[in-house]
Amino acid sequence: MDFEANYEISRTVDFIRTRNFTKVALQFPDELLKDSTRVAKALRSELGKGVRLYVMADTAYGSCCVDEIGASHVDADCVVHYGHACMSPTSTLPALFVFGKASIDVNACAESLRHCLSTASKHIVVLYGLEYAHALENLKTVMAELLQFSVSNSSVHFAEVACSSINPSGDKMTEKEQLYSHNGVSDIEEVHKYANGNSSLISVDCNKLEPCTKYSLGGLIWNMPVGHKMEDYLLFWIGSENPAFTNVVLTFNNCEIVRYDAEQSNLLKDFAYQRRILKRRYYLVEKAKDANIVGILVGTLGVAGYLRIIQQMKELIERAGKKSYTLVMGRPNSAKLANFPECDVFVYVSCAQTALLDSKEFLAPVITPFEAVLAFSRGSKWTGKYVINFQDLTASTTSEVVNDTEEARFSFIQGGYVEDIQPLENGEHKESSLALAEATEKALNLKNQCTDSVLFKGKARFGAEFFAARSFQGLNMQYENPLPQSYVIGRTGKASAYEDEK
Amino acid sequence: MVKFTAEELRRIMDMKHNIRNMSVIAHVDHGKSTLTDSLVAAAGIIAQEAAGDVRMTDTRQDEAERGITIKSTGISLYYEMTDESLKNYKGERNGNEYLINLIDSPGHVDFSSEVTAALRITDGALVVVDCVEGVCVQTETVLRQALGERIRPVLTVNKMDRCFLELQVEGEEAYQTFLRVIENANVIMATYEDPLLGDVQVYPEKGTVAFSAGLHGWAFTLTNFAKMYAAKFGVDEAKMMERLWGENYFDPATKKWTNKNTGSPTCKRGFVQFCYEPIKQIISTCMNDQKDKLWPMLQKLGVTMKSEEKELLGKALMKRVMQNWLPASSALLEMMIFHLPSPSRAQKYRVENLYEGPLDDIYATAIRNCDPEGPLMLYVSKMIPASDKGRFFAFGRVFSGRVATGMKVRIMGPNYVPGQKKDLYVKNVQRTVIWMGKKQESVEDVPCGNTVAMVGLDQYITKNATLTNEKEVDAHPIRAMKFSVSPVVRVAVQCKVASDLPKLVEGLKRLAKSDPMVVCTIEESGEHIIAGAGELHLEICLKDLQEDFMGGAEIVVSDPVVSFRETVLEKSCRTVMSKSPNKHNRLYMEARPMEDGLAEAIDEGRIGPRDDPKSRAKILSEEFGWDKDLAKKIWCFGPETTGPNMVVDMCKGVQYLNEIKDSVVAGFQWASKEGALAEENMRAICFEVCDVVLHADAIHRGGGQIIPTARRVIYASQLTAKPRLLEPVYLVEIQAPEQALGGIYGVLNQKRGHVFEELQRPGTPLYNIKAYLPVVESFGFSSTLRAATSGQAFPQCVFDHWDMMSSDPLEPGTQAAQLVSDIRKRKGLKEQMTPLSEFEDKL
Repeated sequence: MDFEANYEISRTVDFIRTRNFTKVALQFPDELLKDSTRVAKALRSELGKGVRLYVMADTAYGSCCVDEIGASHVDADCVVHYGHACMSPTSTLPALFVFGKASIDVNACAESLRHCLSTASKHIVVLYGLEYAHALENLKTVMAELLQFSVSNSSVHFAEVACSSINPSGDKMTEKEQLYSHNGVSDIEEVHKYANGNSSLISVDCNKLEPCTKYSLGGLIWNMPVGHKMEDYLLFWIGSENPAFTNVVLTFNNCEIVRYDAEQSNLLKDFAYQRRILKRRYYLVEKAKDANIVGILVGTLGVAGYLRIIQQMKELIERAGKKSYTLVMGRPNSAKLANFPECDVFVYVSCAQTALLDSKEFLAPVITPFEAVLAFSRGSKWTGKYVINFQDLTASTTSEVVNDTEEARFSFIQGGYVEDIQPLENGEHKESSLALAEATEKALNLKNQCTDSVLFKGKARFGAEFFAARSFQGLNMQYENPLPQSYVIGRTGKASAYEDEK
Repeated sequence: MVKFTAEELRRIMDMKHNIRNMSVIAHVDHGKSTLTDSLVAAAGIIAQEAAGDVRMTDTRQDEAERGITIKSTGISLYYEMTDESLKNYKGERNGNEYLINLIDSPGHVDFSSEVTAALRITDGALVVVDCVEGVCVQTETVLRQALGERIRPVLTVNKMDRCFLELQVEGEEAYQTFLRVIENANVIMATYEDPLLGDVQVYPEKGTVAFSAGLHGWAFTLTNFAKMYAAKFGVDEAKMMERLWGENYFDPATKKWTNKNTGSPTCKRGFVQFCYEPIKQIISTCMNDQKDKLWPMLQKLGVTMKSEEKELLGKALMKRVMQNWLPASSALLEMMIFHLPSPSRAQKYRVENLYEGPLDDIYATAIRNCDPEGPLMLYVSKMIPASDKGRFFAFGRVFSGRVATGMKVRIMGPNYVPGQKKDLYVKNVQRTVIWMGKKQESVEDVPCGNTVAMVGLDQYITKNATLTNEKEVDAHPIRAMKFSVSPVVRVAVQCKVASDLPKLVEGLKRLAKSDPMVVCTIEESGEHIIAGAGELHLEICLKDLQEDFMGGAEIVVSDPVVSFRETVLEKSCRTVMSKSPNKHNRLYMEARPMEDGLAEAIDEGRIGPRDDPKSRAKILSEEFGWDKDLAKKIWCFGPETTGPNMVVDMCKGVQYLNEIKDSVVAGFQWASKEGALAEENMRAICFEVCDVVLHADAIHRGGGQIIPTARRVIYASQLTAKPRLLEPVYLVEIQAPEQALGGIYGVLNQKRGHVFEELQRPGTPLYNIKAYLPVVESFGFSSTLRAATSGQAFPQCVFDHWDMMSSDPLEPGTQAAQLVSDIRKRKGLKEQMTPLSEFEDKL
């Protein structure tokens, strides 16, 4: 495909010119990095000397997010993001998204869609990967022609791309409102209802005078007449099997979904894998309930509201009587996570499309903030609803019911009722007369009595306890062999195979 | 039935010497429930106003349908002894009224946990043995359990009617059969030498053995006959009883007692002469409707019949005559009252078994003395679902003090540690309740020595707990119960409608509460798992779950899932090495199978992480031929820090080794829980750390580098040591007549089972078959067997051991390889095993 068109050079130039940006960071994912110089060259020739361009690569977190930290190293005014994007709102910098244009056989796609429509007795919502957004208009026309002669009471709704640029969220407006205002949806739509955790927005559409529910997910928005549930619709996804699609499957896990693979031009209906993910997440939630020490992994430094959600998580964890540590470690891998063996579970705060992190290699499970809310607030139940975006979570869980029954908690991991550790007391002793007696009692307690259960069964209540239980306590003077040892010549060579090992 | 009001019942509850708490235990189908029914019919306490419209025996519908007991049910009996029969009673008593709290327990091995719970709250046990089938595997199991709890047993040889009607055996032959049954039982009991409990063996001549026919409702002990004959022979009852059992012969011709059979045709054993023959005679007269002969005989025996009863014929007549002559209730109840201990007597020696704390504190003393004025000590042994769904009665026994409605109690759960706040609640007892038949009656309070049900505590008690007064902060809990069976059969459940999931979760929680044995867990793949002791147990659990705890919401149940174990056959073919992610550290390891019996020793807890290293080294070197120094270098056990695998340090002179020990152990705990083949637990593998190369900077050899590496090297060493799968194997015991043997063998062969013992029960046409049967093959085994033997064979399966599957799981196409890929598929893993090259690194 045409290079110019694919990278939308002229649109990018317009965007930069109209807003008078002078320092622009161009963010490329690894697979597009090879084109970065050409893109930069093309842009420079259009923009002239007044605008400085920087190419950014190798983002610290997911390449789908706007790397604001990287951009602020060069003090950039805006970021142009290339390739697959999660469309998470940014917190400081405006961003333009260039999705790229993947090739698609519109006629074949429309044919499959028509086939779906005739076989399924449901209305259809068409969702797609953002790289196919360019073909949407085309598809709509083809579909209109196809449906001209067919008699069907089912209709097709097309989701729209919410926006292709994002302004940082202001203080007063929520990200959501910001998002819609850019798409030309008037700000008058006041009736907010964050129901179902699907960030649906009931609004009165001025044009049609018909109330409708707005859904938005991964940069797409679509309307639904009020009273219609998503379950009544068939989801038609155009695109490959990527995280964006997984998110759709998880969020609308009650809906019937078909996927049109644009590369193979065929229709797929088997999503056992994605369904299995949901069950697996359910297991992880159950496992997290047993945790005493929780590590909060900071998986983004850009997505708007990440500090707030971290704070919210901390409070949540504290309320549950558990201990939390906040860790910033870039993109987590098994070696990095295993450096914190005291953590029983990690909560990964990141953009929606990198949120699901699961691997057999991880020593402790990694869960999303939504799952953490399920796991750490007593009385909340897994109903099958699933929220991946943490922005939706901040809104939906503010009025949380603290159902404080004293009943022992049932742990499905241990297969029985377990006693949760009581929230740490802040050094206050109710029975002060007995305080001294209690202290002396504890002083005579045998330590290291059950280090095994502290170390390997997650019985530690806080990090220090874990460290105290370790068998190696650092260098100490009483070595097995107190005599000084004569020096020996160490190995030489590379660690992968030293000289003497060759 | 005895009509009572709650107040009257409550009055007897204060007389601690006149209470007997006892359970009825036996092998399945030996007639416990039938026998209990006949007792209840005669002496069961029933609420006054409810009399007439409730049936005591009306329990769960499924119990009736299957003809087996599933849940243990408690029933109170009232019995008034005559002064005359009490004249030989030496113990303490208050008057002649007795309250007997009887718990009928299930006999099927799948429900052994119910028996355990019943035994804890009783002091005596009536062991029921079928006189034809004799002592069976479950008789033995429950008897051992009872003795372990210091429960005094009495025996009844049941189904006497079979001797007379079905088999029609002669007196001497019958005597030998009974003798053998009693001896077999005594052999088991003799192994329990307990100075405090004294001699627990049973002797007919001492009156601790009864002979009963539960179905026909009659029973006798030698006491009955001794009383009858004592006057006639002019000797006292005790002397007469001795003569009625054992090597005592009487010759009516010479009217002499001898110790040997004189050989004269009229000389017969005392038991045969005076007990067996008269019964036989009466029965045959009745059966032949020789009424003209019958009435004078009955008159002689002092049995009176009502006129309408005289009209009966054949079996019905026989039943009525025998019930009038030798009523089961009086024989058995008198035996219990005479020979089973009252709570106050039993608690004197049971306190050691029961109380966890020091035996000289006030709580131990109060339990020992069964002191109603002492501090409350109450053990909740099970939770009984109440009629309003979702609530439970906490059912247990008061060992000291009294529990009252509205009282504030301290609830100490199974994980409570004295002095800490863990698993401890202080709550009000909303109501104390006693069972009167099917009806529950609230009472003000219940004193020690009695069983009680409490309302309002179910939220705080998970399965069992110790209750004491609010103020008694020093009290230690009562020891937790030990179960003899383990949950090995598992099914995955899910709800048909996804939105029912909260219902399912809630249902599983309640199920776990209502059954002491069932375990509800979740798999890594997110499937809910229910684990039970056997197929039947699971079936009942699932039924309860769906109908009672989920309000009928539909569930989908998977095929039974069996968990396997992974082990190795040989020592690793080479030392394998894995590098840390940064390539700066290397671990070298080998795997080898453990010595025979070592894994079992770890399972039993004879060897474990908490042992003193020296004593552990001693056992290992003496029993398993380990090097003494090596035995001291065991780093850990796993999985769960106690499992039957270990890591041993074989390195010499490695610097910083201590520093990475915890990380290696963490990797091992993880790997041993999920083996390399199919992520099943490992078993009986010993991992030897051969060498370690570490980076000189501590930052490069942290947990992050070592833990994943340790896991990989453990997998690599497992894969190089000829990995194998272990499958669980049941010990099956089947009793069947000879003509059914062919069918049994056929089914066993087809199910990969093998018979290792086949014994004919002397004096019976019955065979006792013991076989090993893989658990995988056991599903549907009972029904197949029943079909193949036209219902004559009934198997009892108990988990016995792990058996190695000979085929190589690494070789494609073998049975083990197929199994591995099936398991992996079920767990949602890649069907292909991760190859060795992923775990092992080369220099």
